[in-house]
Amino acid sequence: MAIQTKANSKSHMPQNSIFFEKIVPIALISMGIVTIGLMVFAAGVLLGFVHF
Amino acid sequence: MTINQILPFISTAVMLWFTVDVFQRYFARRNPAFLFWGIGLAMFGMGSFAEAYLSLAWNKWMFFAWYLFGAALNAAWLGHGTLYLLARKQWRHVVTVLLVAGSLFATNLMLQAMPKLDESVFTTSKPISEQYGTKALKAGETAPSGALTITTTYRGEEVTAVRGLLPLGTSVRLTTPFFNIYGLFTLVGGAIYSAYLFWRKRVMPNRVIANVLIAAGALAIGSASTLTRLGYGEYLYLGELISAIMMFAGFRMAAKPQPDEVVAMNSIPASAD
Repeated sequence: MAIQTKANSKSHMPQNSIFFEKIVPIALISMGIVTIGLMVFAAGVLLGFVHF
Repeated sequence: MTINQILPFISTAVMLWFTVDVFQRYFARRNPAFLFWGIGLAMFGMGSFAEAYLSLAWNKWMFFAWYLFGAALNAAWLGHGTLYLLARKQWRHVVTVLLVAGSLFATNLMLQAMPKLDESVFTTSKPISEQYGTKALKAGETAPSGALTITTTYRGEEVTAVRGLLPLGTSVRLTTPFFNIYGLFTLVGGAIYSAYLFWRKRVMPNRVIANVLIAAGALAIGSASTLTRLGYGEYLYLGELISAIMMFAGFRMAAKPQPDEVVAMNSIPASAD
């Protein structure tokens, strides 16, 4: 009878997948940059550099 | 009704479904992360509904709900749910106290602003997000055509301003960036960080995609709100709907067990409980 272990309870990413090897890291980095941009914008509003 | 009047009602329906789903999980598992997510989603839904209502008619308490829950607080409460999944216990309690105290403080400031609302500037022809704030014009800057202006004294200077519902210098507006920076950092940052952890370990691809969807959904509404403030309000309602759908899809995907997780769970002997 199989016993649950950390190793077999997790599914793994497909090997050589363009989606997971290329698109996901690019998406994460891009979203990180946009997030920082939006936070800087909000901080600019707070500090009075950005008027709206 | 126009498409821009229909979209917020669809977003509200999606958010209501999403909120009920999250609260059901909270009552089943008693995980505080679901409670904060549920409260944040309920605020998002109330903000969407108020926005939809204000595209048809004026009601000052709808404006209260739109500004306080939709513009100021919801991102912070959503992000706080993510913080509960990622941060250490002692930090969670300190930040929870700060969030609750800050939210009560903002509510009090909003209540104080209610009698001062300039309701005469309200119109259903523009999104509420384009008409809520009074904007002081810089020297040499001209008001947009058709805009109502006022000349007043602000911070010891005489200024001309484009009139909005909230008067110039309303204190509650100063609190909004704090909540939104915190919400953006925890909700989007937390989702990106979680996706990165699973991606780095090459495990749970569903959680990677789910966190990418949650981060992208939160960024969709954050970007649409920013574009609105820069004068491109036509994307706001679409951004809200995309945000609601992506975050809901991400949440459902994250909560769904992987096929081999189910196999492994079914293989555990009953005595293991």
